Amino acid sequence: MNRFLLLLAAGLASCGLSSCLDVVPLDVPKATPLLSVDGQITDQGTPAAVTLSLTQPYFNDAPPPPVTGATLTLEDDQGRRDVLVEELPGYYRGSGTVLGRIGGRYTLTIVTDGQTYRAETEIRRTPSIDRIEIQFKEKQTDYDEGYYAFYYGPELPGVGDYYRFRIYKNGVLFNKPGDLIVSSDELVDGRYIGELRLNDKPLVRGDRIDVELLSIPRDYYYFLNEMVTQINNVGLFATSPANVRTNVRNTQAGSGKTAVGYFAGYTVRTASATVN
Amino acid sequence: MKQRFLLLGTAALLVAAPIASVAQTLPAASPPTGRATGARTTLSGYLKDAATGEALIGATVFVKSLGAGATANEYGFYSLTVPPGRYTFTYTYVGYAPVEETLDLTASLVHSVKLSTKGVETAEVVVTGKVPDQNVRSTEVGVARLDARAIKLVPALLGEADLVRAVQLLPGVSTVGEGATGFNVRGGGIDQNLILMDEAPVYNSSHLFGLFSVFNPDAVKDVKLVKGGIPAAYGGRLSSLLDIRMKDGNSQRLSANGGIGLVSSRLAVEAPIVKDKGSFMVAGRRSYADLFLKAVPEQKDNQAYFYDLSAKANYTLGEQDRLFLSGYFGRDVFKFGKVFQNSWGNQTGTLRWNHVFNSRLFMNVTALASRYDYGLGVPTGTQGFDWKSDITDYSAKADFEFFRNPQSVVRFGASSIFYTFQPGHVVPTEDKSIYRELRLQEQRGTEWAAYLDEERSFGPVFSVQYGLRATLFENRSTGTFYDYEGTLGQQLTPVNPQTYGSGRPLGRYPNLEPRLSARYALSESSSLKFGYNRMVQYIHLISNTTAATPLDVWLPSTRNVKPEHADQLSLGYFRNFKNNAYETSVEVFGKRMDNQIDYIAGANTLLNQNLEGELLYGRGRAYGAEFYIKKNEGRLTGWLSYTLSRSERQIDGINQNNWYANKYDKTHVLALVGVYAVSDRLSLSSTFNYSTGVATTVPDSRYVYQGLVVPNVNGDVRNNFRVPAYHRLDLAATLQQKPHPNRRWQGSWVFSIYNVYARRNAFGIYFRQNEDNPTRTEAVRLSVFGSLLPSATYNFNF
Repeated sequence: MNRFLLLLAAGLASCGLSSCLDVVPLDVPKATPLLSVDGQITDQGTPAAVTLSLTQPYFNDAPPPPVTGATLTLEDDQGRRDVLVEELPGYYRGSGTVLGRIGGRYTLTIVTDGQTYRAETEIRRTPSIDRIEIQFKEKQTDYDEGYYAFYYGPELPGVGDYYRFRIYKNGVLFNKPGDLIVSSDELVDGRYIGELRLNDKPLVRGDRIDVELLSIPRDYYYFLNEMVTQINNVGLFATSPANVRTNVRNTQAGSGKTAVGYFAGYTVRTASATVN
Repeated sequence: MKQRFLLLGTAALLVAAPIASVAQTLPAASPPTGRATGARTTLSGYLKDAATGEALIGATVFVKSLGAGATANEYGFYSLTVPPGRYTFTYTYVGYAPVEETLDLTASLVHSVKLSTKGVETAEVVVTGKVPDQNVRSTEVGVARLDARAIKLVPALLGEADLVRAVQLLPGVSTVGEGATGFNVRGGGIDQNLILMDEAPVYNSSHLFGLFSVFNPDAVKDVKLVKGGIPAAYGGRLSSLLDIRMKDGNSQRLSANGGIGLVSSRLAVEAPIVKDKGSFMVAGRRSYADLFLKAVPEQKDNQAYFYDLSAKANYTLGEQDRLFLSGYFGRDVFKFGKVFQNSWGNQTGTLRWNHVFNSRLFMNVTALASRYDYGLGVPTGTQGFDWKSDITDYSAKADFEFFRNPQSVVRFGASSIFYTFQPGHVVPTEDKSIYRELRLQEQRGTEWAAYLDEERSFGPVFSVQYGLRATLFENRSTGTFYDYEGTLGQQLTPVNPQTYGSGRPLGRYPNLEPRLSARYALSESSSLKFGYNRMVQYIHLISNTTAATPLDVWLPSTRNVKPEHADQLSLGYFRNFKNNAYETSVEVFGKRMDNQIDYIAGANTLLNQNLEGELLYGRGRAYGAEFYIKKNEGRLTGWLSYTLSRSERQIDGINQNNWYANKYDKTHVLALVGVYAVSDRLSLSSTFNYSTGVATTVPDSRYVYQGLVVPNVNGDVRNNFRVPAYHRLDLAATLQQKPHPNRRWQGSWVFSIYNVYARRNAFGIYFRQNEDNPTRTEAVRLSVFGSLLPSATYNFNF
């Protein structure tokens, strides 16, 4: 619902009392690097993949330093076990003995730098996408004239489903901070999700929109939702910056060597449409 | 049940005991005929403004030969009991010419007195004490009073004279940021101020997200801020009482005043209903930025405006009885075509009955209702929804004031407040909407209170006001409620569902709240004062953002959310110089609070059915020193206030359980206000503000997750950084139209410049990816105003 606050803040600008933003130099405290995890297992028949790196000073724009030589083990709830192989520095991939399946539960163990970390996740049920529809819109309050893609699909009855939408235009993921879209079914449980707009700026003939609907676990939803808040946290109604949760825990409780990031299980359903 | 009866019993005793003592000491129906010792006569009545008939709150009557005096209450009523004899009574009120009368008192006398203003308005004292030396002489500590004229003389943002912004210039008061809703008193949260408008609580004091306050300055007569030694008659919030009294309305003749400004226009009309018996006042204002929006084709479907209407009527039924009816209705409206709409506002209504039992016993009975609500939604389409939330209270109370003798005034009373809270209810607007209905658990609660208070003077040197307030809060919500389990600092899981309903309250909390203030005179013009108060707060504003938003909801204490308590000690030294030309004071305070509410990182406070799973509770403490120098006389008047303070909290689950600075903690807060009367027609005014930046958290590191850069701070520390300091200079000039004896219309122009040296004060510092180069991260400063803001306002009255 933070989006509404952003809209409200936009209301201020329309009152002619526009506020202003400018970039300022700032000294931030130094911190010891922590393990950062970005990994997933999906129901798409591909093995799990995990990228390990270290956190870096906030204003350091260099690529994150990879964590190499770690031992990553993935186990599922049916006793299968997979040891991930480092294919590129910091990029680890399973051999395929453990594959994602709806209803499956997974535990990833990471051993690096003398520490052991564990992350648990699951793959939940998923609805399907009916279709993506292209519509032409005249110029109006929230549309510039042009073509727009809309999502149509059911939501499963029963509260407790969580989703992420990944939208690609001509094969390129919309991936600015404002493009991270997650939602819970609390307000839409069992309803038909129709006419959900997918692109902000109008499309032109020949443009192709691909949508991935990810059914994600509850805790991962909160991880992403907290991330949405933190990476779009500017304005009159911003919150004080706060850490995003993680499911990667040091097995030695109380250790200062904590981790950040997430190892997530999810389904992927796709659909696409092209403007003719 | 037993406990409740006990408490009610105590409350009844509190009220009954003084009634009994009143009965004993009341004069018989016939005038007392000289018992040799202790024969007394009482002079009582109302003190009013001669031109408008407005009650003069805090005006005084004094008998020099006896060294005895009395102060008019909130309705202008005074009562002074003296032995029979011939005395010279002096009636005074700041800014008014004193009246002296010599009266032969053989029997009690009802005598109302009208005082006239001193002419040149520009030479007015800005923040008024009640009478010369009042700041030194009264037992009150931590009290500041503003009159409506003072609010209008201070340079105003965009020319909008603003009550809350004026209050923020007083010592001990600060704000979390420019244009943030509400104000913070002595290290307390914005929800810890009891804001009363004609006794009705106001739950959100802001228009336009906090840029302006909801109070129309034309409708306001008197404003009193009490931040320490809060009397027993008031309770329910931890940190302060802001008591706003609306004008009664001119009982002598039809009059009006208004203004045309950049942001809004105002008009207030007052007139007698029956001359000297009753009058009314209606004041309205509306912003008109949206009228300009209509001129822009792209914006023609958009609306953004606020308005408010204040109205009051009073009628004298007889010598003893007077009725007051007052109401307030305010609204902010935002609409973006058919895409989004939002509105919010307060409504209050107060009916009061003053009854004078006899010259020494005054009663006021109040029935009131207050509501804050907001609505938000998308009117049509598949995204269509309508979301509503409100807090509503109905309240009744009776307050008695017994003027025992010039040395003692006893006040007692009882009240009950019935609350309902609807934290959020969403309904789809049409069938094809993707939304379903969601109604968060509605809650109900009752807050009972009874109090007894005595203000007593032991000669000219020592006086004391002490009291006890007994309160009981019952959460009477019906439904299923949970306990919460898990790791503190992370989202907790609801467990152990239990049904609550009639006969099984979701929480019952009795409390005793002792209050004390005392004064010890060191000399004619200096005194030492001491104050202690215990305050309890049963309702809480759930707000996780730096500045509160209009969507924040109030919630009552439940099984899990315990009432907040505060104990505060204050000590003050008051000294006036040069025959009261200068008033100075130094006050130090220390405050300890418990059950303070904070939030886990990333808490979602809106439409959250398991909100209590994201709340954390702990201790708070605040301490500081306030320095105040005020110049009352001469062409140049004004004040300097400086506050050095600290406000912190310790909450298990946050900041590794260590103490951390509150988001509104500011080490230094300084305000300098000057008004210079150049001539009878021209006055110049200026304010300068300086304050330490608010506390916030800055990340020390970052990581990349799926191509997005996420900020991180090792060790989950909170508020490890200060936003840069805030400072600002404002100027204003007020030019009165040349008065003309045959014309009632009197106009004036106010020209002002806000933020004269155009400083980009940081409201906050935020962190984000660069828009063009997403791997680069940057810190950005948000300034609510990026430049200086000039304005011109035309005001008139007739």
